[in-house]
Amino acid sequence: MRAACATLLVLATVGCAPVPSGAGGGPPARVVSLAPSLTEIVWALGAGERLVGVCAQCDYPPAVAALPRVGGYLAPSVEAVIGVRPDLVVVVPSPGNREAVRALERVGVRVLVVHDRTLDDLRASVRALAGALGLTAAGERLVADVDHGLAAVHARVAGLPARRVLLVVGHSPLVVAGAGTLQDELLTIAGGTNVAADAGQAWPQVAPELVVARAPEVIVDAAMGTEAGGHDLFAGLTTVPAVRDGRVVALRGDALFRAGPRVVEAAEALVRAIHPEAGG
Amino acid sequence: MTRMRASYLTRRRLLATVVALLAALLVSIAATSLVGPVHASLRRALGPGGPSTPDYVIIVRTRLPRVLLGAVVGGSLSAAGAALQALLQNPLAEPHLLGVSSGAAVAGMVALIAGADPVSPLVPAAAFAGALGTMALVYLAARAHGRTTPHAILLVGVVCNAIAAAAIMLVNAIASYAQARGVLFWIMGALSTQSYALVALVAVYALAGLGWLVAHAQSLNLFAAGDEGAQQLGVDVEGARRSVFVAASLLVAAAVSVSGMIGFVGLIVPHLLRLVLGPDQRLLLPASFLGGAVFLVWADAAARTALGPAELPVGVVTALVGGPFFVFLLRRRLARTLP
Amino acid sequence: MTPALEAEGLVFAYDGRRVLDGVSLRVAPGELVGVIGPNGCGKTTLVRLLSGVLMPHAGTVRLAGRPLAGHRRREIARRLAVLPQDPHLDASFTALEVVLMGRAPHLPPLALPRREDVAISRAVLARLGVAALEGRPLDRLSGGERQRVLLGRALVQEPDVLLLDEPTTHLDLRHQAGIYDVVDAIRRERGTAVVSVLHDVSLAAARCDRLVLLAAGRVAGEGPPAAVLTAEALSAAYGVPVTVGWSPEARAPIVLARGRSGV
Repeated sequence: MRAACATLLVLATVGCAPVPSGAGGGPPARVVSLAPSLTEIVWALGAGERLVGVCAQCDYPPAVAALPRVGGYLAPSVEAVIGVRPDLVVVVPSPGNREAVRALERVGVRVLVVHDRTLDDLRASVRALAGALGLTAAGERLVADVDHGLAAVHARVAGLPARRVLLVVGHSPLVVAGAGTLQDELLTIAGGTNVAADAGQAWPQVAPELVVARAPEVIVDAAMGTEAGGHDLFAGLTTVPAVRDGRVVALRGDALFRAGPRVVEAAEALVRAIHPEAGG
Repeated sequence: MTRMRASYLTRRRLLATVVALLAALLVSIAATSLVGPVHASLRRALGPGGPSTPDYVIIVRTRLPRVLLGAVVGGSLSAAGAALQALLQNPLAEPHLLGVSSGAAVAGMVALIAGADPVSPLVPAAAFAGALGTMALVYLAARAHGRTTPHAILLVGVVCNAIAAAAIMLVNAIASYAQARGVLFWIMGALSTQSYALVALVAVYALAGLGWLVAHAQSLNLFAAGDEGAQQLGVDVEGARRSVFVAASLLVAAAVSVSGMIGFVGLIVPHLLRLVLGPDQRLLLPASFLGGAVFLVWADAAARTALGPAELPVGVVTALVGGPFFVFLLRRRLARTLP
Repeated sequence: MTPALEAEGLVFAYDGRRVLDGVSLRVAPGELVGVIGPNGCGKTTLVRLLSGVLMPHAGTVRLAGRPLAGHRRREIARRLAVLPQDPHLDASFTALEVVLMGRAPHLPPLALPRREDVAISRAVLARLGVAALEGRPLDRLSGGERQRVLLGRALVQEPDVLLLDEPTTHLDLRHQAGIYDVVDAIRRERGTAVVSVLHDVSLAAARCDRLVLLAAGRVAGEGPPAAVLTAEALSAAYGVPVTVGWSPEARAPIVLARGRSGV
C-alpha cells in the first residue's frame, strides 16, 4: 500500500515537473540530495558520480565529504541548490524544507519527494530513485540485497525467544522509539519486542518510571549523548533487568536512523546488543 | 467587586497563611508522588524487601526527586515573579522577561552542541553561567546616569529574549536532527531527575534567594509609592532595585538551568495570590513560593499522566492552564482601568 | 534658633532651562510657610529639592543645620515627610496599609507593624476623618479621601518638617479647612515646621504665617501675607490683573484675579 502511494507520488511529480534545462531528454546527470539517507541510496545505486550537491549532514560514504554543501537537512538553501544547476533534487519531507521544496518547484527544478519512515518506505524510495535515475535494475538489486541481508539477520535469532527491548534516542528529555518507526521494525527483526510500542507516538517522551514498569531486558542507548550520561540515567533503576544484568548497550553511529542501505548493518548491531549469544 | 480583606498584615495572618500553604504543599508532594503513568503501590514499596521492588524504584527513585524538584522550581519562579511584579510595578510581569532565562537556554544549548551529555551536570552549569552573564548584561545595559528604571529593565530584558530566541533558532538550524530535539528541553521545560543531591542543592539555593527577597519585601512595598515616594519614605531605591533584580534573576537562573523555561508559573501564581492575599510583599513572597510549588507539582503530575505512556512537556501544561488564564486576567484588568 | 529646614541659593535646570535660579527659604519649627507662584515657576521642583530626591545644581539644603547630602535616606525620612502633588499609587493597598508605610523609616526592614504603629496610624486616620475607610483599597477611594490618606502617611512619619505640595487639589472647602486644622494642631503639638505649596493664594494668605512668592525661578516676595500680597507684586508675578481685598474675620488678604477685559 505504502509502496503504491509512493509510486503514485513519484509519477505525479514526474508528470507535473517541467523538463529542466541541461540533460535534455535523458536521465538526470546532476543530482542534489537533501537527506543523508538519500545520499547513501544514490551512492549504493552506483550513481554517486552524478551527485553535485548534498546537505550539510550528509557524511556517508566518506567520499561525499568533497561534495559541495547546499544547506541543512532541515533547512536547505534554495540558492545553493539552484547554484549547482541540478537536474534532479531528492528530498525527504519535513516541516522545515516544505517552503524550500515549493520554491525549487516554482523555479522549474525537478524534485523527487520520498518517505523514510518504515522499511516499506525504504523499498519504495529506492525504487523511485532508481526509476528517476534510469537505474531500475540496480534499484531492484539493492532492494533484494537489503531484504536478503535483513532476512539473514533475522534467521540468526529466529529460534531464540524475543527479548524485551527499549530503544532510547534522547536522554533529556527521555525519548524512545515507539511503534511504526523504522527502528521499531529493525528491533523486531533483530529478535526484540519494543516495550514502548503502545505509547501511541512514533517518538514518545517518557518518564523513567515507565522504564521501570516495562522492565526491558535490554536497553539500547542510541542517543546522541555520552555513555556516562546514559549510565547515569539508568543506574538508579535497579529493578530493571537490563540495568541489573548490565545490558545497557550504547549504539553509536547513524546507520540506525537512516532509511538507507545500511539498515542491514544497523540490524546486525542490534542483534549484537539484544542477542549477543547469537554470535556474528 | 469590593473585596474586603484584612486591612493590614498581622503576624498572625502571615503565620496562618504560610502554615496553611506549607501544609498544602506537603499534601501535594505526598499525593503526586503516588500519581503517574504507571501504577505503583506505596504499600509494596514500604513493605518488607521494599527497596528491591519496582514500586520502590518508581516512587522513591524516579517520582519523589522529580516532585521535589518541581516544588523548588515552581517556588523559585513564583517568588521571582512576585518580586518582579512589584519591582516593575506591573502585575502582568513574568520572570522570564528578565532575560536571564534565554541566556541560560542559549548557553545550555551551546554546551549540548559542544558534546556534553544532556544528563551531565555540565549543561546546567553552563546554563547558569549563561544566565549570570545575561543578568550582568541586562543590568548594565539598563543603567543610565547611574540609575535603572523599571522601564529600562523590562525593555532590555525583552530585547535579550528576542536575541536569544534568534540564537536558539540559529543553533537549531545548524545542529543535527537529534540535537535539535534538545531544544524542546529548554523551550518547554522538563523536571525529570533522579538526583536528590541536585534537588537539595537547588533547594538550598532557592531558599537563600527567597530569604534575600523577603529581606527587601518592605522596600518592594514602598516601591508602590513610586521612585520618589519610596525615596521620601527612606528607601535607597537604586540599591533596593539592584538587590531585588539580582536576587530574582538568580532564582530564575537556577530554575531554568535545571529545568528549562517553564512559563506562566511566575505570572499566574503571584497574580492570583495577590488578588486573594493583598499586595503586601512580606506575605506575598513566601506565599508565592509555596503556591508556585504546589502549582507546578500538580502541573507536572498532569504532564506525566495525561497521555498515558507518553508524557507531555510540563511547559505545555502550564501554558494550557496559564494561557487562557492570562487572557482572562488581561481582560479583567482592561475592564477595570477603562470605563 | 536653627531653622528646621533651610535652603540657600538653590539652582536647578531641566535640559538647560533654569527652573530655579537662586532660591532661598527657611522655616522655623512650628512655622507654616506657604509657597505660591504661577504654574511652572518651579514650586514642585523646589519641594523635590527640599526633600532630597533631587540634587540642586548649586546651593544647599540644610535639615536642622546639617546639609541634606550628609544624611542617609532613612534618616531624612524619619525627620522629613512629603505629601506629593502627583502621587504614584499602587491602588490595591488599603488605606491603613498606605498610612502604615509612613512608619517604615522608624521600623527595622523586616519588621511587621507593631501594635503602636497600628494605633498611631488609626489615630491619624481618625483625625483626618477617614477612619472608616481603613480597610478599603485606595482605588475605591475618592480623590479627596485618597489625599487625606496620603497626608496621614506623611504625618505618621512623625516628621520635624512636613512638605505639602498642593494638598488641597481634590478637596472641597470643608476638607481644605480641615487639612489645615490638622496641620495647625500638629504644629502646636510637635513643633513641626511646614512648607506648603498652594495654588489658592487666598487660602495661603489665611492659613500661612509667612509666604514666599516664586516667579520665573526667583523669590519675588517673602514675608507675612499682608506684606507679600500686593496687587503690583501679584500682577507682575502671575501676569494678570489682580485685586487684593481684606477679610477682617480671617485677618488676612483676599486675592482675586481679574480677567483681561477688566472686572
